[in-house]
Amino acid sequence: MAKTVDEIAEAMFGMVKDAQGLKKLKPMDLTKAMVELYGGEGVDKKFCKLAIKQLIDSGRCVYTYFGGSYIELPHSEGAAN
Amino acid sequence: MSDVMKDRRTDYGPPHYEQFLPPVIKENYGKWKYHEFMKPGVMVHVSETGDKLFTVRAASGRLCSVSKIRMYCDLADKYCDGYLRFTSRHNVEFLLTKEENINPLIKDLAEIGHPVGGIGNAISSIVHTQGWIHCHSAATDASGIVKCVMDELIEYFENTKLPGKLRIALACCLNMCGAVHCSDIAILGIHRRPPRIDHENLRKVCEIPNVSASCPTAAIRPATVDDNPSVEVIEERCMFCANCFTVCPAMPLNDPLNDGVSIWLGGKVSNARHEPMFSKLAIPFLPNNPPRWPEVTTAVKDIVELWAKNARRYERMGEWIERIGWPKFFKMAGIEFQKEHIDDFKFAGLTYKRSTHLTF
Amino acid sequence: MADNIPKTPKLDELEKGRWPSFVKEIKMAAQKSPMAVDLLGQLEQSYDEKIGYWKHGGIVGVMGYGGGVIGRYSNLPEKYPNISHFHTMRINQPAGWFYKTEALRKVCDIWEKHGSGLTNMHGSTGDIILLGTKTDELEPTFAELQKIDFDIGGSGSDLRTPSCCCGMARCEWACYDTMALTHDLTMHYQDELHRPAFPYKFKFKMSGCPNDCVASIARADMSVIGTWRDDIQVDPDAVREYADKGMNIESDVVDNCPAKCMSWDGKELHIDNSFCVRCMHCINVMPKALRPGKDRGATVLIGSKAPIIEGALLSSVFLPFVKVEPPYTEIKDLVDKIWDVWSEEGKNRERVGEFIQRVGLGNFLDAIELDPVPEMVAHPRENPYVFYEEYFEEDEGEEEEES
Repeated sequence: MAKTVDEIAEAMFGMVKDAQGLKKLKPMDLTKAMVELYGGEGVDKKFCKLAIKQLIDSGRCVYTYFGGSYIELPHSEGAAN
Repeated sequence: MSDVMKDRRTDYGPPHYEQFLPPVIKENYGKWKYHEFMKPGVMVHVSETGDKLFTVRAASGRLCSVSKIRMYCDLADKYCDGYLRFTSRHNVEFLLTKEENINPLIKDLAEIGHPVGGIGNAISSIVHTQGWIHCHSAATDASGIVKCVMDELIEYFENTKLPGKLRIALACCLNMCGAVHCSDIAILGIHRRPPRIDHENLRKVCEIPNVSASCPTAAIRPATVDDNPSVEVIEERCMFCANCFTVCPAMPLNDPLNDGVSIWLGGKVSNARHEPMFSKLAIPFLPNNPPRWPEVTTAVKDIVELWAKNARRYERMGEWIERIGWPKFFKMAGIEFQKEHIDDFKFAGLTYKRSTHLTF
Repeated sequence: MADNIPKTPKLDELEKGRWPSFVKEIKMAAQKSPMAVDLLGQLEQSYDEKIGYWKHGGIVGVMGYGGGVIGRYSNLPEKYPNISHFHTMRINQPAGWFYKTEALRKVCDIWEKHGSGLTNMHGSTGDIILLGTKTDELEPTFAELQKIDFDIGGSGSDLRTPSCCCGMARCEWACYDTMALTHDLTMHYQDELHRPAFPYKFKFKMSGCPNDCVASIARADMSVIGTWRDDIQVDPDAVREYADKGMNIESDVVDNCPAKCMSWDGKELHIDNSFCVRCMHCINVMPKALRPGKDRGATVLIGSKAPIIEGALLSSVFLPFVKVEPPYTEIKDLVDKIWDVWSEEGKNRERVGEFIQRVGLGNFLDAIELDPVPEMVAHPRENPYVFYEEYFEEDEGEEEEES
């Protein structure tokens, strides 16, 4: 059964949530995992791009930069100070 | 979708350049035939149609207040029908169609403290980075050294008596945001003390495998410190690149006692005559001595004048040194050759002298 | 505000001398901005103590985008509360850095209202740099920029804001339309510019001729440098005019030719164009007499970068000559293939040039399906350890004949 962008965004969100504090994930980490899991159901890199955009635009995740760009749950700014 | 994103314009890109081109450029786009150097900082481009475009290039300190940008705008409105541009080396260029406006413009620029020059066989403005004004990894200030060096060298900006072009660039650390590695003279901030590890915070703000992996010489390895996971640095292997600090703020290298400046020579990006080449180390270390960095300004000025006196016409710094050989250069410049001058990273072997072509 | 300006004896030394003073700029901004006032204070302390006081902070941005905002915090927020946040916004410049004052004044007004009033015109990558503001001002600034059609540029592991020389707008040497290509690529790859998806940064720089005024061969992951295939255009009368006016054609021009492909008999300049390496020297010296040929295009080179991490690299040739015309299919196809391979296989913080060094140019060319040509190397290998990928078995030859 074909996956929707929402479903993939949700699955990505789950990955980020589970990894928070343990490992910072890059967009390509999410994409590779999704293609691995759902490649048979038509999920490719382009599809994952849409899902990442959805995930970020919804405000549930944000991009961060620590020498490289990552996708994480939103930080509270106090942590940086 | 969140509320902010609902009616949001995104991905519209920069304004299209066409709306900012003066009519003389729109009409002669792609039709320019030749250009001539008129006087320092002024050139004229002549089109196949016979139209002329005059350019006046003025120095800028790179750091510009909006008040200064408005002053530029006032001048562009007064003399250039409201059109101006900036160059890749932070200069501001005024685009004129009326030749009689050139001198009044130059006079007005002088009044707001902006010299005109940097075209032809001259020093153009120094490409540089943020330094202590805005950077977390700076080993020196950027704007300060640039100001002091250019105060000393301003005559070579304002006239064209040098043998060829001279491009100076400054980066306040090895990250080289200013990509100084292909400049006739590169002024480069350097650290000389290995990172001081903030063991208390490291595990909170950094991922240990990432920190280890960041080190190009594998000098960082995981370690347990006071029963907490952290890292240790094999100090003999540290070459002070600060890559670890970029991925992990708990590894600072900044250190007033050891930070300073190095001078590199002979790089170029243009393909004219010699192929592009990297700058090479001439002076391993000069102290940070604010506010006027006398050691750095003197060293740079001496090198510029040595080259100006000895190079052939059109010969860039690197072409001149390659012709005379580095041993002769060190002798003429009175710079002591030290162990630090010899490369010991990846391609070091290619830099050893592998012939008997030597001068005495 | 003016009476709040701190005493800065060290920085005041940098108001002396004839070169434009950045300290004067900060003081000008300090007339209106408390941020600039505190910046003066902290900078003076840096000058006293020979160390910077900034902290990197990688968690701020504008909603939806992953690049274009550089988070920065003061290490001394109690002492300098107005710069406790001092984030930078990179604003995508119009190609070629041309402006009408009307537009530039609007940018100034926005930044005076929402930020420190300090800028860089421009940053190293090419963007307009709006230097220093608070987290709360990021969204309002972007909202106002949207109204005047300025978008945010790149930062982080994304496509960095493409930049170019002024090209055909003002230069007779432009071998292709650098500004058109830059604008086209910028618009075509908006998603890559705003949403970091690469192992590390990727830069395009477009130079119209081999003089390379934007240093693309040293600073761009993809360098597009204008060149030509046919003969240098010569105006013999204009050459003689240069000679008559005192130019020594022999020593100034002929002797400096790296290909030794020209000669001067006192009347006429002869060029054997089949050996010309398109270095530009003779054209630079005699712009009225010599011009690049008419069959113009570009050489595409890949992989340059500053030292971090594995050492500095210059770009090397991938496409010796391409015609550069919309819709730029050949260039975009190459970009897409390179990104595909590098995004998937590149290590964290590995630039494409380093990636190519690691896997080998030959293997990389295989992966992007580009045939090797001799223009790609300075010389063929000197080392005899060749990785042949296939070999014949004893009875293989016969089988092949049968099939």
